[in-house]
Amino acid sequence: MDLFLQYLANGIVIGSAYVLVAIGLTLIFGILGVVNFAHGEFYMLGAYAGVLTVTLLGLPLIAALVVVIAFSAVLGVLAESLLHRALRERDMTSSIIASFGLAVALQNAALLTIGPRPMLLQTDLSMLAVEFGPVFLPLPRFLIPVAMVVLVGLLFGVLRYTWTGRSLRAMAQHRTVARLCGVRVERVAMVTFMVGAGLAGVSGFLMSSVLMVTPIIGNMIVLKAFTVVILGGMGDIMGAAVAGLLLGVVETMTSAYLTNGLRDIIGFVIVIAVLLFRPQGLFGKSVERS
Amino acid sequence: MLAVEGIEAGYGRTRILHGLTIDVPKGGLIALLGGNGTGKSTCLKVIAGLLKPTSGRVTLDGEDITGLAAEDRPGRGLCLVPQGKEVFGTMSVEENLMMGGFHRRRDKAGLAEDLEGVYTRFPRLRERRRVSAGMLSGGERQMLSIGRALMSRPSMLLLDEPSAALAPKVVEEIAEAILGLRELGLSLLLVEQNVGMALEIADHLHVIRGGRIAFSRAVDGGVAPDELRSFYLSGGHDDEA
Ligand SMILES: Nc1ncnc2c1ncn2[C@@H]1O[C@H](COP(=O)(O)OP(=O)(O)OP(=O)(O)O)[C@@H](O)[C@H]1O
Ligand SMILES: [Mg+2]
Repeated sequence: MDLFLQYLANGIVIGSAYVLVAIGLTLIFGILGVVNFAHGEFYMLGAYAGVLTVTLLGLPLIAALVVVIAFSAVLGVLAESLLHRALRERDMTSSIIASFGLAVALQNAALLTIGPRPMLLQTDLSMLAVEFGPVFLPLPRFLIPVAMVVLVGLLFGVLRYTWTGRSLRAMAQHRTVARLCGVRVERVAMVTFMVGAGLAGVSGFLMSSVLMVTPIIGNMIVLKAFTVVILGGMGDIMGAAVAGLLLGVVETMTSAYLTNGLRDIIGFVIVIAVLLFRPQGLFGKSVERS
Repeated sequence: MLAVEGIEAGYGRTRILHGLTIDVPKGGLIALLGGNGTGKSTCLKVIAGLLKPTSGRVTLDGEDITGLAAEDRPGRGLCLVPQGKEVFGTMSVEENLMMGGFHRRRDKAGLAEDLEGVYTRFPRLRERRRVSAGMLSGGERQMLSIGRALMSRPSMLLLDEPSAALAPKVVEEIAEAILGLRELGLSLLLVEQNVGMALEIADHLHVIRGGRIAFSRAVDGGVAPDELRSFYLSGGHDDEA
């Protein structure tokens, strides 16, 4: 039982990282209809931005977080304005191929400039830990679900109570009517990519003290995020939040009680089953698109 | 108020409008009639900026707005209520209305006042303000999409088949509402398939055929001239005008 709780906590930690990546992915899809294969690279570059800020510049973690957010947001804006803006009126395949190309380009850029050597963020925080009864979590891990809850809560607040948030939801539901209300597609697209890339970058940074950072870590995380997006229902933020945690927990339990070899496979098995039997996702309705 | 001059427009290689010209005077209620697929919605899309015409111009208060983005037109007082009673389905009725005021979102007091105005005009919407718009009946959705347009404080309103697929009693209500808008001083361009309703409320009619206005007539005292009825319904006598 004690071990089970520890596994559960570990699962929630990794699941929270999935949630942060998947929410951006599902937002970008739900609002703009873009399937962003480069989302894993936003995660990877966010991780590098954080690690390098701390190790090379010697800045404190909180400053590194600011750097990560700013850097990722700029990256998102560039991806939108240089790539997806030109493809907006084309069919979905164009943006899929373009984002795939961007993923490859960013990965190789990271390989060329930073190199293949794995990095891990080590800070004073790693010495500290949080204990709840039998559950023991090093502080950097504990902060991941905390950050996830804060960021998702913030996102919900923005979507619900601000004009920017309303315009994003309106655009997701009905692009033409949103335009007729005076909502600019360019602005919504920019904000969406900024938020999506920002969340992915923060997730990468948070995970950089848990898992090794290399130029190719985006590959696996983006597949996991797609799994989460499909499980949660395409375009459904709450669905992605629940499905992300679920995937993290299921993976951890699989590796603990079955075998570690199944860890990365189990999610895909579930997603195939869901696509066959419940294509709208585990939790029902997805955001309507016009 | 609004002048559409010699518009040519279409989709891809297909030309739908061939030199269409319409004038909406200030405070006027002009009806645009025509059969299925004759290009009525296409014409409104051009006026609203959703579709760029290949030639011709659209002017509003004497100013050429042909090249103006659709997103910037509500700010100029031009607003389209599109066909199909479109609403933001998962947003509440009140959020839908507020979205209509997006372009003047900094004007909090004005928006609150106009929201109250819409609720007074359509009491049903007030009752259902917290309900998801997707749950509304057809008539309520139409009221909501008109209300949403009103939140932008338009001076020129384009309505695309507001009476379509509604029960006769509800059509009556919508017609009343449109007449009420007229009293506000709005200029209106109304696209309709419901000839009876158009005849009742409009002061001028245009019939579109072959991509241009084939027939125009003032409606005297709200009574339909029989010639129009027969012209429209017979579907023949092309290019009489
Ligand atoms: N997005 C589009 N792409 C291609 N063709 C279109 C498009 N929209 C409309 N059309 C075609 O243009 C023609 C005119 O369409 P439009 O919607 O303007 O007709 P309408 O007069 O509004 O008809 P209705 O009364 O049925 O709404 C039709 O033949 C239609 O098939
Ligand atoms: Mg139409």
